[in-house]
Amino acid sequence: MISASNLKLTFGKGTPLENPALRDMSLTVNQGEFVTVIGSNGAGKSTFLNALAGEVMVDSGKIIVDDQDMTRLPTYKRAHRVARVFQDPLAGTCEGLSIEENLALAIKRGQRRGLSSAVKARHMDQFRASLATLELGLEDRLTDKMGLLSGGQRQAVSLLMASLTPSSILLLDEHTAALDPKTAAFVLELTEKIVSEQKLTTLMVTHSMKQALEVGTRTVMLHQGQVVFDIAGKDREGLTVKDLLSLFEQQRGIEITDDNLLLS
Amino acid sequence: MLSEIALYGAVETGLIYGLVAFGIYISFRVLNFPDLTVDGSFPLGAAVAAILIIDGVNPWLATSAAIMAGMVAGAVTALLNVKLKILNLLASILTMIALYSVNLRIMGRPNIALLSEETVLTPWEELALPYYQIPVLLFSLITIVALVLLWRFMKSETGLAMRATGANPRMARAQGIATGAMIVLGVAISNGLVGLAGALFAQSQGAADVTMGVGVIVVGLASLIGGEAVITPTSVLKALLACVVGAIIYRLAIAFALNANFMGIQAQDLNLITAVLVTLAIVLPGVRNSVRARLTRNNA
Repeated sequence: MISASNLKLTFGKGTPLENPALRDMSLTVNQGEFVTVIGSNGAGKSTFLNALAGEVMVDSGKIIVDDQDMTRLPTYKRAHRVARVFQDPLAGTCEGLSIEENLALAIKRGQRRGLSSAVKARHMDQFRASLATLELGLEDRLTDKMGLLSGGQRQAVSLLMASLTPSSILLLDEHTAALDPKTAAFVLELTEKIVSEQKLTTLMVTHSMKQALEVGTRTVMLHQGQVVFDIAGKDREGLTVKDLLSLFEQQRGIEITDDNLLLS
Repeated sequence: MLSEIALYGAVETGLIYGLVAFGIYISFRVLNFPDLTVDGSFPLGAAVAAILIIDGVNPWLATSAAIMAGMVAGAVTALLNVKLKILNLLASILTMIALYSVNLRIMGRPNIALLSEETVLTPWEELALPYYQIPVLLFSLITIVALVLLWRFMKSETGLAMRATGANPRMARAQGIATGAMIVLGVAISNGLVGLAGALFAQSQGAADVTMGVGVIVVGLASLIGGEAVITPTSVLKALLACVVGAIIYRLAIAFALNANFMGIQAQDLNLITAVLVTLAIVLPGVRNSVRARLTRNNA
């Protein structure tokens, strides 16, 4: 379970560019939930994810993961509970390292690293088996450099790496946005498969309202650093993008003008 | 042409600079941390070893102390960067400048002669070998040990975490790697190797001098880049081998340039030649690639 309460964060405080990114934002994600997060540019989606991961520190509020207060912990001390896939397909892996070295890094996520050999023979079967599920033939290319793979392949491996060891929450930051439509569909399908198979608690930020409603078990919409609505279960079933928009207008009394949200 | 003595001398110095190149490989290549501390940690290693040796300390112990001193210097640079957020290049320049005073303090004077002292080379002099071959033999052994240890380390869990820190710090943090600690450890190991090189250099040359560090960074970089031009560093082992090969080639090239007497090159032209060699080593691989690209385009 992950609970964020009353998060406040302002960028550039006291400068002319002062920008309140999170304004008293609260969200609790229960064990096994797959939450999709939607919102227009500047709504605070990425900031919220970065705050959960520890890449930015909130000004006030509390972040609790599995009863552990993580509000003030740096990223690397949260990594044993928080797994993450970035938007940039090149960001989640090291291109200069081989596929097996990248997986070896991920299998020790959040654990002590010693002086024993990083790539271990006993991990090989697990690496091959999980790579085989991608059906990209990567299981035979373990010693190839990551940089030889395409963006989509690298994003698929990033996803695999994030799910190689158990986590309390998986953060997906628009992880299909930088891919071509076909690859994006592949990575999204893979995401749903991995999340349901491993029953991962997941928070997925997306730019597409359609995707936000089709995938996952619950949808949260952010606007100006706050949760404007939060729907799950029966209320969410059969909901269309149009319904979502009118719901938003009712709540806020404003029309959504972000083309990205409407068109994608 | 090059005499046998000059040849061995070039290899001997090349092996020492190979250790410097190992250090520079860790900072510049693995950690992506441009570290100029080496211009200070090289004479620091020499100063620590020399002062301890003339005080009667066992030369191996003195050399170990030089490694430790180098590591501390590296850690200071890294902490200036990691904790105080000073730009890495500037942090290393600050440490380098500070070390000039520190080295003078350690030695108590600008230089220390070691000619009649017992050094790590002394026990080897009983071997039935020409005097100029002994340092090459001993330094080869030290280089092999350092290379194997570094290679194993870079393949270890911690070493892999260090490589990820330099290559993709955001990803490294997300994997739970304390990137700051990795930078401190890596820059410390790097300067420990340079301290070792300084200690060995002082013992083989018979003196430690406070100015002996000037330009070590450039020579180390020349070795690293030159080596990479000869051996493409597709793996850690190849990258480390490239350091040694590059350093030896560099010293041989310098020795040839100074001995061959062609184009009227003299000893004072050393730094100019170094700069030209480094420039060539940096530029040539790029030229080679663009020529190759042009050729394949024409064929297509």
